[in-house]
Amino acid sequence: MPRILSTGQAINEALAIALASDPDVILLGEDVAGGGARDGDGVDEIGGVFGTTKGLVKRFPGRVLDTPISEMGILGTAVGAAATGLRPVAELMFIDFLGVCLDPLLNQAAKLRYMFGGKARVPLTVRTVSGAGMRSAAQHSQSLYWMTTGIPGLKTVIPSNPADAKGLLLAAIRDDDPVIFCEAKGVLMLRGEVPEGDYTVPIGQAKVVRAGGDVTLVALGATVAVALAAAEQLAKQGTEAEVLDLRSLQPLDEAAILASLEKTGRLVVVDESTPRCGIASDVAALCVDRGFDFLNAPVKRVTAPHTPVPFAAILEDAFRPSAEKVIAAVREMG
Amino acid sequence: MQLTRDLLLDAYRKMRMIRCFEEKLQQLVLAGKMAGFLHLYAGEEAVAVGVCAHLDARDWVASTHRGHGHCIAKGVDVAGMMAELFGRKTGLCKGKGGSMHIADMDRGMLGANGIVGAGIPLATGAALTAQIKKTGGVGVAFFGDGASNQGQFHESLNMAQNWKLPALYVVENNGWGEFTPTEFVVPVADIAERARSYAMASAIADGMDFFDVYEKAGQAIGRARRGEGPTLLECKTYRFHGHYVGDTLAYRPKQQAEEWNQQRDPLDHFERRVLEAGLLDGDDLRHLDGEVAAELDAAVRAAEAAPFPDPSDVTTDVYVSK
Amino acid sequence: MPTPIAMPKLGMSMQEGRVVAWPLPLGATVARGQIVLVIESEKAEVEIEATASGFLRHTYVAVDATVPCGTLLGAIAETQDEPFDAESFRIAHDHPEAPRASATAAPRAAAASEVAPPHGARKPIAPAARARARELGLDPARVPGSGPGGRVTREDVDAWVARHAHRIEVAPGVALEVPATGRGDSVVLLPGFGTDVAAFARQLPALESSFRVLGVNPRGVAGSDAPPADSYDVARMADDAACAFDGRAHVIGASLGAAVALELALAHPGRVRSLVLVTPFVAASPRLVAVLEAWCRLAAEASPEALASALVPWFFGAAALANERMRARNVRGLAEIVARVPAATLVRQAAGLLAWSGTRGADLGGISVPAFVVAGADDLLTPDAAAVARAIPGAEFLLVPGAGHAVALENYQAVNEAILAHLSRSNADSPDRGRGASSVAGRSPISKDR
Repeated sequence: MPRILSTGQAINEALAIALASDPDVILLGEDVAGGGARDGDGVDEIGGVFGTTKGLVKRFPGRVLDTPISEMGILGTAVGAAATGLRPVAELMFIDFLGVCLDPLLNQAAKLRYMFGGKARVPLTVRTVSGAGMRSAAQHSQSLYWMTTGIPGLKTVIPSNPADAKGLLLAAIRDDDPVIFCEAKGVLMLRGEVPEGDYTVPIGQAKVVRAGGDVTLVALGATVAVALAAAEQLAKQGTEAEVLDLRSLQPLDEAAILASLEKTGRLVVVDESTPRCGIASDVAALCVDRGFDFLNAPVKRVTAPHTPVPFAAILEDAFRPSAEKVIAAVREMG
Repeated sequence: MQLTRDLLLDAYRKMRMIRCFEEKLQQLVLAGKMAGFLHLYAGEEAVAVGVCAHLDARDWVASTHRGHGHCIAKGVDVAGMMAELFGRKTGLCKGKGGSMHIADMDRGMLGANGIVGAGIPLATGAALTAQIKKTGGVGVAFFGDGASNQGQFHESLNMAQNWKLPALYVVENNGWGEFTPTEFVVPVADIAERARSYAMASAIADGMDFFDVYEKAGQAIGRARRGEGPTLLECKTYRFHGHYVGDTLAYRPKQQAEEWNQQRDPLDHFERRVLEAGLLDGDDLRHLDGEVAAELDAAVRAAEAAPFPDPSDVTTDVYVSK
Repeated sequence: MPTPIAMPKLGMSMQEGRVVAWPLPLGATVARGQIVLVIESEKAEVEIEATASGFLRHTYVAVDATVPCGTLLGAIAETQDEPFDAESFRIAHDHPEAPRASATAAPRAAAASEVAPPHGARKPIAPAARARARELGLDPARVPGSGPGGRVTREDVDAWVARHAHRIEVAPGVALEVPATGRGDSVVLLPGFGTDVAAFARQLPALESSFRVLGVNPRGVAGSDAPPADSYDVARMADDAACAFDGRAHVIGASLGAAVALELALAHPGRVRSLVLVTPFVAASPRLVAVLEAWCRLAAEASPEALASALVPWFFGAAALANERMRARNVRGLAEIVARVPAATLVRQAAGLLAWSGTRGADLGGISVPAFVVAGADDLLTPDAAAVARAIPGAEFLLVPGAGHAVALENYQAVNEAILAHLSRSNADSPDRGRGASSVAGRSPISKDR
């Protein structure tokens, strides 16, 4: 009987396993218990803005900490705790709030080990929600993982489905480097089979989720489903697409990207982030630099436009990559 | 804690070492032998040493860009620091950090920090670790009057008080935030006042007086270790040099500096007090002066002779695992 | 852009020169540096080298004519078949200020981002195509591009090479197209009546990993020259084939190609290491004769698809025919092949085949190389394949149940396995006597695509 869970439930499971298996793991963030876990008042906990951390404060009292709305304080404290012996999982409610707490990640977590000549370790995990699709508008719908990907010393991962979410989060928590774990809104809404028990998905390893020989579609997080939908349509038109789920942005599985490009000679990157200085450009540069002789057509990037995220449903849907846009790119590249 | 002879000798030695270390750096930079931004702690010795005299291996200290004094006070190896400042492979951070990022995790020194205020949440995190792991340790943040205007200061104090963390926040109010007088940018007369917003305990100490700092810090650290929560300890002090080596101090009234330098020198004050009270004698102190000078000279010579890092070190120690 | 060949000015005093010879025929492949013209000036003969690789598309001045220096004498075009307007080229050459007739910008594509490059500008070539061309020692600019904006893709390079690979002169003025692939001992493929080497498409993947495979398109077929004649004799075709490879080779022939293979083994025994005869015959059955007649008529009067649909029932067994999708695919595939063999060739091949038929039955006993015969049990066109196997001393025989005349296509897995087994047995029994066998007189490669 396969277990079908939502991505949120899969993440909850991972957190419970982490908390149970390592006494140094703590969760902290705004509303992660939610409601202060006040049993006596007859109120129930929220368990996070999306309910992802529900139930944990009861099972692990004293290790699931609600914080004030102080991103700088939360992240900075989490970095300090990580450097001094804990293994904290801090929640940054929306990656859009990165602007409020960039320093602890950029200048502290990412650099302590390097600046101290290898003597420090910051085994911090930052869980954060990214992406559009819930009509949350410009300041709550961005996909800023390209920023953290570009900071040396940080790792950034982004699962595309519930099973990977569980395994990748456990890997992130157990990794001794600071890891940004992105929960894309488009992925949070998914349900899928999730294996029982404790398992990890290796960081730095992409996955071919659909094999094909005619064109490679590189996707991440919420766009993996878009790429698969496009692949299905393309197959009916006689083009077999290979879909590569990156899963990990830093470290990036360059070998997998180049191997697929060598196989197909054509590559499209599908990313729901904005176009400048992003993952799509990064992958395209890799192809041109190290996969030049494999290229039978230009590398195409299907991304959001260079705009903030709009509110109205019709606008937000136009903002996001779609299977149609991917197919058009494949046709255009020749 | 008792003011034993050993404790006093150690305190003097450390303060003298800080003073000599900083002045040696000033010479080296002006002679063109040392590079980078260097921020000297001379004048503030009593604060670092007065607080750190209460700390042990359980405790963590987070510092600022003006961090050499806190390092020395926490027992960090001077030769390693000097080699680091000379950018050598034998440096405390293998030449990768420099003055503003000197650290020694083995001695509970979470590092100097190039971002104003950034050490405050780090020390708060160390206090959280101590509380959760029940180590009995404390997390101490040293920072300046300027940092007390940073958001991270307020957020950290708020969180620490909510959770009653075993933390000590030492604000070294030396009257100047970089090149701006403190009173231009801090509306309260005493920064310790700010603790009231967070219902946090506070105290004010004369930062030029080792004994006053020692007593007030001891009370605060005792409270923290007993689980009674954090304290904001304001130490009124003065920095004898500019914001950084090379700062011409054009913005600071000469007379003010002279007053503090000549009349309020913490080392002079300590010496007068211990001699008057018969706790130590002049020979003890001169002997320590000699030791410090010799150790410092040796450190400089060793650093100048030490090998440079290999260019391949650029890419090491970024991650624990690839 | 075609490259002009003009009367050079070889020295301050030279005013004019006389065309002595055009060593290459029109349409021939030209390699840069190859002698393309001989002129005479001031009592001395001078050989003129081509300044570009390509094909000699036009000569403007005949032998013995004397013209001033600078006069356009000939043109080398990049490809054999692109449209070439000799007159416009001459006008453009003689009057460089006048707008070139061919230099019109291609219409801008409707799509916002893609714009077709103007004609005459640098040709867009995909990196993968460049890499592939480099591997093959080929100038990618010669390859027509099928991608957007005329971009040359890796597939275009492969397709071009398949069409224009290694052409070998087998007789004066007659060059055959001999596409080669793989590495190792040589295996020569001889296709049957009215087909080209594409009929062996299913054998290539199995062979090219261990052998150097040379497909010989006979005269009149696909890219090979088609010298006019009443008939293409089987013996002549065997001589052609002997010129198409060096030293010794395993020879695989199908149907008419098997007849050529037998001739080759009989006329040039030292060149053949082993024989694989697919659906061979020594005497054409009446049914075969009738089908060939119909084949010739349909080729002349109907479309390749119609011809293919008429041939498919003779080529494939019942099972393949019963599967509608497979049948349709086979018709399409066969149509592509038969389209490359003009009706005139079929008539000549048929004449040669009929003349050969029945003449070599007694001679099969003299074949001394290892032989292997493959036939289809349902093949009505060449039903006496078994007899051929019996007549050749020591020949092995495989009869594939349910297969038709195109057994090598239809049941390629079994056929390939058997061929590979035969080849390795032959290698053991009949090791090559050494490389560097002297080249056969009269053969010279026209083009090495370097």
